[in-house]
This record gives sequence, C-alpha cells and structure tokens, in this order.
Amino acid sequence: MTISTFIIKNALRNKRRAFLSVSSVAASLFLLVTLQVALRELTQPPESSGAELRVAVRNKISLTNPLPARQRGIIEKIPGVEGVTPFTWFGGKYKGEEGMSFAQFAVDPKALGTVFSDAKMDAAGYKNFNEQKDSCVLGKITAEKYGLKVGDRFVLDSTVYPGSLTFRVAGIYSGTPDDRNMLFRQDYLDDSLGVPGQVGMWWLKVKSADDMPRVTAAVNQAFENTSAEVRAESERAFQLGFLAMLGNIKALVASISTVVVFTLVLVTASTMSMAVRERFRELAILKALGFRRRELFAFILAESFGLSVVGAAIGIGVAYCAYTFGDIGKMTHGIFVTFEVTPRIIGFSALVAALLGIVSAIAPSLAVARMSVVNGLKTLD
Amino acid sequence: MAAENIVTIRNLTKLYRQGEIDVTALNNVSLDIAAAEFLALMGPSGSGKSTLLHIIAGVDRPTSGECRVQDVDVTRLNESQLADWRNQNVGFIFQTFNLIPVLTAAENVELPLLLTQLNRSQRRKQVATALELVGLSDRAHHLPRQLSGGQEQRVAIARALVTDPKLIVADEPTGNLDSHSAQEVLGVLQSLRQDAGKTIIMVTHDPKAAAFGTRQIHLEKGELS
Repeated sequence: MTISTFIIKNALRNKRRAFLSVSSVAASLFLLVTLQVALRELTQPPESSGAELRVAVRNKISLTNPLPARQRGIIEKIPGVEGVTPFTWFGGKYKGEEGMSFAQFAVDPKALGTVFSDAKMDAAGYKNFNEQKDSCVLGKITAEKYGLKVGDRFVLDSTVYPGSLTFRVAGIYSGTPDDRNMLFRQDYLDDSLGVPGQVGMWWLKVKSADDMPRVTAAVNQAFENTSAEVRAESERAFQLGFLAMLGNIKALVASISTVVVFTLVLVTASTMSMAVRERFRELAILKALGFRRRELFAFILAESFGLSVVGAAIGIGVAYCAYTFGDIGKMTHGIFVTFEVTPRIIGFSALVAALLGIVSAIAPSLAVARMSVVNGLKTLD
Repeated sequence: MAAENIVTIRNLTKLYRQGEIDVTALNNVSLDIAAAEFLALMGPSGSGKSTLLHIIAGVDRPTSGECRVQDVDVTRLNESQLADWRNQNVGFIFQTFNLIPVLTAAENVELPLLLTQLNRSQRRKQVATALELVGLSDRAHHLPRQLSGGQEQRVAIARALVTDPKLIVADEPTGNLDSHSAQEVLGVLQSLRQDAGKTIIMVTHDPKAAAFGTRQIHLEKGELS
C-alpha cells in the first residue's frame, strides 16, 4: 500500500457520496463553462476577415430610424471609401413560422462583393443576384436548414413592412462568422413598397485601416446639422454598441457564475466535512500512530482536490465535446452559431475546480488539526 | 538484579476543566514500570487509569509532573516531536480495535510503516512477520468486516507491533470480546512480553484479564491505591 492508495480508498469508501459529489462538481463546472462560453460569444462575437475595414453608419437617433438614400452619393465621394451598400432590415417570417429564425437585409448587389468580401459565393451566384431583381443570396446554414437550393422560390411575411415578398435563391454564400443571413436587393424592396428613398443603415468599406478614423469622422461630419445625422463607427464598435442595448449581460452572467461557484463550494465543503466527521475517530487513530497534522491535512486536501478535479474533468470534458463536436445551431435553436470552449475558459474552470478542492478542505482540516487524540478517540465511544 | 525502568512517573497531576469546575483526573501520581513488565492498570470508571495511559503514550499532557519513557520526558515534546516519538516507540491497542474499514488486515498493519523510510518490500516483510506473530497470516487480505472480533483485535496487535516498539499500551483490549477471544488476545500479549520482551501496560476492568499481567495496580479517584 502507498499513501496514494490509502487516499483513493478513503475517497471511494462511500461510493454513492463520491459519485454524487463528483456529479455535482461536474454539473456545476459544465454550467460554468457554458456560461463563460456564452458570455464570450455574446461580448466578443467572432470577427470576419473584412471587419477591420468596414464601417457601419446608422441614424444618430436610433438604429431603428431610417436614413435617406440620397446620403449614398455623398458617402461615396469621401476619399478612402471603396464601396457602400444600404443595409435594410426586413424582418420576414418564413412560411408562417412564429418568429424570425434568420435575419434578412436589403443590399446593393453590386457592392456586395466589395463590402462583404468575406462572404464566398460562386460567380454564378453573383451574376444571378445582379441580374434578377427578386433574387436573394442565402447563408449556407439557413439554406441547409430549410433545404433551399439555387433557383428555389420562397415567401417571407414582413413584420416591418406591409405584405409579403417572394424571393428566388440566386446563390448560397459561406465564409462569414454567421452564415445565416439572407441578403436581397434594395431596389426590389423599394419597388415593392412603392416608397423608394429610405434605407435602414449603410455599410461601407474603406481602402485601408489607416483610412478608418478619417473616413468615420468625415461621414459623421458630412451629415451634421441635417435632418438625418448619422453615427459612423467601426464594425467592432458597432457590434459592442449593439450588444450594450441588450443590457449588462456581463454582470448578469458573472453573477450567475458566482452563485454557481459559491453553491459548489458549499456542496463540496459540506461533503468533505461529512466525510471527515464520520472518520474523526480514524483520524485520531492515525494521529496516535504518529501521523502529524500536515500529513492529515495532505490526506484531506488530496481527497477534496481529487473529487473536485475528477468532477471538473468530466464537466469540462463533456462541455468541450458537446460544444466542439455537437451542432450548436440546433442545440441553441440558432441563437449561437459558434460556441467555442477556448483554452482560457478551460484553464479558468480548472482553476476554479482546484481552488474549490483547496477551500473545501480547509474547514475539515482545521477541525482535525485542533482535535486531540483523546477527544478524537472519544467520538464514537 | 532489578530490571531497568522503561517508564518513570513523578508527581503527575492532571486537571480537567468542566465549565467552572476543575476535575482532578490524576493527583500526584508516581510510578515506575520496568522493562518487559506486563502491568495491569485497574480501577473503576473515572478513576484516571485511561488518562494515565494516554499520558504515558504521549497522546495527552499532564497539568504538572514528569513522565519519562525510555529516558525521554514526553511532557516536554512538541506536537510534531510527539507524533514521531509515538510512531517509533509506542504501539496502541484499543477496545474497539479501530481498524480502517476500507483497508485489508495487511494494509491496516502497514499504516504506521508509511511514516518510516522503509521501502515497499521491507514494509511487506515486516507486515508479514507481525501478522505471523499474531497467527493471522492467512487473513492478510481480508477486510476488517470479514474478520471476527478476536481476529480484528489481533490485527490491531500486529499494527501495534509492526514498528517494533518497546512499549505497548492497551486500553481495555478485551472489552469488546467474548471470553474465548479475550483469552486468545491476552495470550498473544503475554507471549509478546515473554518472547519478545515488550513492556505492556493494559487498562482493564476485568480481574481475569488483569491476572495475565505480571503486576496489577489500582487507581482510585486519581490516586494509586
């Protein structure tokens, strides 16, 4: 027998309790990893390759306020601007679905390849999109979800505009961080509504990263004191501002994570306290046999640490496998496209588990350290 | 020629505080115990016999007085020194056996050796010898629950012996045993004194058990009578 054999046998002496302890740690760590990944996905959305050169231009009052289409000509003339496209929210529901399962935006097909160059699509797709007014391009995820192919037609009932529009699939794109959107032609929307002249917002592409500050400033300045003042900002700033509208998600997730960890500490500490309390007499015997406080502390710590680490390995492992190899789109009903368990999140969760093991061992260890052999021997007399 | 003393106790007093009252467990006790003696310590409940045994074994401290075991004043050792000293010099036998239920007989006996510098094969050899001495070689891989009470106590004796201490302290070692098993256990203790020269101090209520000792002393209200 070795010291480690002794520790393992002690940890597994009550197999049901060990199983429940490990399971509670595993479930909590799974939840903690999930919360951390969700927080990361929400606050640090994946950036596309063209993001550093893209500028979002929206109405200064609110994202929901439209902008006049005439602004385009002014924006295009600003030095450093490579391309501009309108980007108008349609809010369509597919085949009578209750909610919107993918976003649809009206764009300029000629500017698509320039502004959203990260969206990869075959030449035929671009050609169709340019030539057919009622055409649209679909993200690969949405196309696969609804089984739509090039040439198929479908109807969207708008929740923003009156009536419905029929679209023909011109192409299917992929390569963006979120291949779910549908893009269709702004002129088709204008014609259908019969009220051309308004767009939701603008996306533009600058020629180089050095142009970005100057272009955004120039765009903002160009529409100052007009009926439609704008706010131009980088794609990253736009995303963060958009997320800020959702409220302080970071604080919410952090507080839930704290509650999870705190509950876990209570559960594990309680388990270790029970495990040690029922062995108080045995620990007194060990003391009588010559084991010192530090050795008994090491036994308790190793047991507590072991239970936490095994639980954490299972919880983190299951989370990693589920989110790496599972279909996250299906699991989250399309809320998340990616759900990456990063090494940083794994490290943080493992650190939490390790600290949990240590903290849980402190109270029972102190009780054992304070226990005299004589009093310990009396506990079951 | 008189045998050399292994335990020398002088003016030993132990007071316990119970609320506002001091209770005297031992009152100015002086005692010599010779090497290879089998001392039976008798007395009614609360007479202080277990307290005296605990102080001699280094698991309790006196309020005043001196307790020398093999020329070491155990009252002056700190916690860590006492732990080492106990591991090397004292073997414990308890009334309720106190074996670790998840360990086999051999593993229970091996426990005190985990604190020594012996390697695994040396430990195994000593464990085998100790189990042979108590006649339980064939039960080495049995768990405590698979043993009878008498066998469990013999495993506890093997655990007390395995580090080869000169002094073995036994607190009511036959208190939980039937008369047959008690005879067996007492016989083992007696042969340890006779054949291996161990000094044995045994607390007991039972006059039949005390009769196995080479000397009997009585404690009454914390004093030798």
